[in-house]
Amino acid sequence: MTINRREFIKANAVAAAAAVAGVSVPAVASNLITSSDITKLKWDKAACRFCGTGCSVNVGVMDGKVVATHGDIKSPVNKGLSCVKGYFLSKIMYGKDRLTTPLLRMTNGKYDKEGEFTPISWDQAFNVMAEKANDALKKDGPEALGMFGSGQWTVQEGYAASKLMKAGFRTNNIDPNARHCMASAVGGFMRTFGIDEPMGCYDDLEAADAFVLWGSNMAEMHPILWTRLTDRRLSAPHVKVAVLSTFEHRSFDLADNGMIFTPQTDLAILNYIANYIIQTDRVNKDFVNKHTNFRIGQTDIGYGLRPEHPLEQKAKNNDKTAGSSKPIDFNEYAKFVSTYTAEYVSKLSGVPEHKLEALAEMYADPKVKVTSFWTMGFNQHTRGVWANNLVYNIHLLTGKISTPGNSPFSLTGQPSACGTAREVGTFSHRLPADMVVKNPKHRAIAEKIWDLPEGTIPPKPGYHAVLQNRMLKDGKLNFYWVQCNNNMQAAANINEEAFPGYRNPKNFIVVSDPYPTVTAQAADLILPTAMWVEKEGVYGNAERRTQSWYQMVKAPEGAKSDMWQLVEFSKRFKVEDVWPEELIAKKPDVRGKTLFDVLYKDSSVGKFPLSEIPEDRLNDESRDFGFYIQKGLFEEYASFGRGHAHDLAPYDRYHQERGLRWPVVDGKETKWRFKEGSDPYAKPGSGWDFYGKKDGRAIIFALPYEPAAESPDDEYDLWLSTGRVLEHWHSGSMTQRVPELYKAMPDALVYMHPDDAKKRNMRRGDLVKLISRRGEVQTRVETRGRNKPPIGLVYMPWFDASRLVNKVTLDATDPLSKETDYKKCAIKIVKV
Amino acid sequence: MTQNNHRSSEYHVASLVASPILAQLDEVKAVITAVEGAEIHAVSDEGKIVFTVEGTGFKDLDKKIDIIRVHKGILNLSPVYHQVLDEEQEKKLAESDKADEVSHQVK
Repeated sequence: MTINRREFIKANAVAAAAAVAGVSVPAVASNLITSSDITKLKWDKAACRFCGTGCSVNVGVMDGKVVATHGDIKSPVNKGLSCVKGYFLSKIMYGKDRLTTPLLRMTNGKYDKEGEFTPISWDQAFNVMAEKANDALKKDGPEALGMFGSGQWTVQEGYAASKLMKAGFRTNNIDPNARHCMASAVGGFMRTFGIDEPMGCYDDLEAADAFVLWGSNMAEMHPILWTRLTDRRLSAPHVKVAVLSTFEHRSFDLADNGMIFTPQTDLAILNYIANYIIQTDRVNKDFVNKHTNFRIGQTDIGYGLRPEHPLEQKAKNNDKTAGSSKPIDFNEYAKFVSTYTAEYVSKLSGVPEHKLEALAEMYADPKVKVTSFWTMGFNQHTRGVWANNLVYNIHLLTGKISTPGNSPFSLTGQPSACGTAREVGTFSHRLPADMVVKNPKHRAIAEKIWDLPEGTIPPKPGYHAVLQNRMLKDGKLNFYWVQCNNNMQAAANINEEAFPGYRNPKNFIVVSDPYPTVTAQAADLILPTAMWVEKEGVYGNAERRTQSWYQMVKAPEGAKSDMWQLVEFSKRFKVEDVWPEELIAKKPDVRGKTLFDVLYKDSSVGKFPLSEIPEDRLNDESRDFGFYIQKGLFEEYASFGRGHAHDLAPYDRYHQERGLRWPVVDGKETKWRFKEGSDPYAKPGSGWDFYGKKDGRAIIFALPYEPAAESPDDEYDLWLSTGRVLEHWHSGSMTQRVPELYKAMPDALVYMHPDDAKKRNMRRGDLVKLISRRGEVQTRVETRGRNKPPIGLVYMPWFDASRLVNKVTLDATDPLSKETDYKKCAIKIVKV
Repeated sequence: MTQNNHRSSEYHVASLVASPILAQLDEVKAVITAVEGAEIHAVSDEGKIVFTVEGTGFKDLDKKIDIIRVHKGILNLSPVYHQVLDEEQEKKLAESDKADEVSHQVK
């Protein structure tokens, strides 16, 4: 019997891989795969838990446990493939140290900030949380409450959290960790196009003639997209790939034009390309005249540091004018970029002139369809919004946008950074569908949909991620709830700006996580959390694709989903506890009700009965609350965007599809936005319609190169760049629990050039200290391997909780997006 | 305590697709077939290699895949399918209920 079972499984495996590769396999295997009677696996589809690509995987469950996964052949994203991370999906839920009970710091049976973590019941946990939240509310009002969420939250979780904070507790102090990865991308979209998220889609991968990777290491960070790009490159010989980075990495293997540039000089390179296009008379004049405006942006805008920092004292325009701009004409713009000559930019960036010219020519040649990809290299940048604006300039000058293969494409790092953080608007300044809290009309729309009195949502943007840490340290944010992220490892300058706030005696910190991460261990209360297919949810990927999955297994006894935690907690508060009398007077029927009643059960969230859940489906949250809460949250959220160019399909349809790209109008998804014929919102006769702006025109911005916040000097003589590696995803709290992944890449090493090591009398494997003005970290030297930095720069990944590189990094941010620049600061390295 | 027994009764199989640099196709094929438990099933016209790796645990399987993954001649290595079979549990299940066959492949 065993042999047959093995043969059967193996045949399944072969058939799946053969289908992906497009080859035929012996008939015996394909016969076997249909005979499901000898497998006890129950298969279902789910969006992958890891990066922003949004692959679909088939998940095989047996006896209540996930035992198999394979890439979903029906998925248009990954077409049956998976990556190393996806391949181990079945194990992320089964780490040995999975948390199953709330843990409170206690001494002698009572809460004590300096006490030891002690198991308590959920009831006790909510009691102490409610007490602490009420104390903070009474003492300093709603601004003393805050929440740090995630681009890994499901859409429903993010929406439930946003509603609880912004409408329930009436504080905008909620921000997602997506602030760290894509706030600059959002800023770039809003500034250039007036509407968020990419216009193109992954179909561009099979249509482009040239690809440019701006800082992105797709081979390691977006392996499935890289596979598609590789396939395109190898199957169409004319296709070229240009890769730009501050160090050589695995994506250079496929590069026709690989370029290493000095950190921050990407701004100059982008302006050089615009200049080249103008100088060689390749501006698409018809497109530019019809569809664009030119503006010059404010400069010298500071580095988003604390106001007393010398760099902020020196900056002239780090005030409210930082994001401002003035109209100019094409000639003024041409003059502005004319100083970015090949000679100047080559000297500044270190990239040879002929390589710069080859790159610029790809963009300039009207016959070449170009797709540009970027992720953290542009976004984690003190001029991140500018970098995004500048790459759009190039695509707009040439009209290479919104058509197959012509695509400036901002990739994302988290599975639902687009869906949950951006579309739902879990940022401290946002509401769903690109609306913002400071706009009274937007607040009125939200209050109407939420059936709440006028004035419920506070108008002032709340604390963003970096400011939250500063306010915790300063004792102004006192009740703080962290869900679904590992910010004690992910935030910059944790020694000075993160840890002190968590341990500030004035504050009560709650962390929800499936595992005891460093963030959880810095908390006062840890809540054990259900993950991925232990709950039903929706994710939104980088190409606007919304995907759903059903709950497939039960969470370990004691662990509860983030959404359950939020909604259950809302039962602890009466409206009178949190709203002022004058607000209640505008809607007296809420008196005596709980936030659970007002925000969820009695609102449109509560209107879908349990009978709408298929009977054979698990759904622990809905069955607990008494209504189909995931559907209710989704449908209410979707009502913000329908008819406003953010249309989503009815919820149930997503259970049938491998996702749909919004706007979904008349049941059809949209592949390329802003182009007449492919986007139903583009006006007839317009050709292109950038309808995010009132006049339908996108903006080409004149913005200069400005230096980094910190550059190497005599004492701190090296650039430090941080980032990820393929095997680990972000902070590693999930993947480091998979022994195989841990073994493949156990410690975060510092990658350095052999000459830099030699100069310091260091050898491969030596124990060294990385020291910055803020802190130090020990690690070992690696002079070989996949990452090859140039002389003068070192690279260290940040997944390793035992070697926190963020003790060293600088918390300089983009003053416009408030996103931290993890890619450059100055350090020195000494032998231990 | 049961961990070891549990491990030893596990059978793992993974299928993968490797995209080699075409000039190194033969070399990459040789590397794959040299790995114990690895078997090539097909090679597409574009040179994509479909192969399986069998083993006794995650670790074992991963070690084998690592040998292949780090090879310079491979541009891309995509795992496609992975399944664990706990054969002791299988035996028990087969004995207890043969009738309960509710599984279906997602179509």
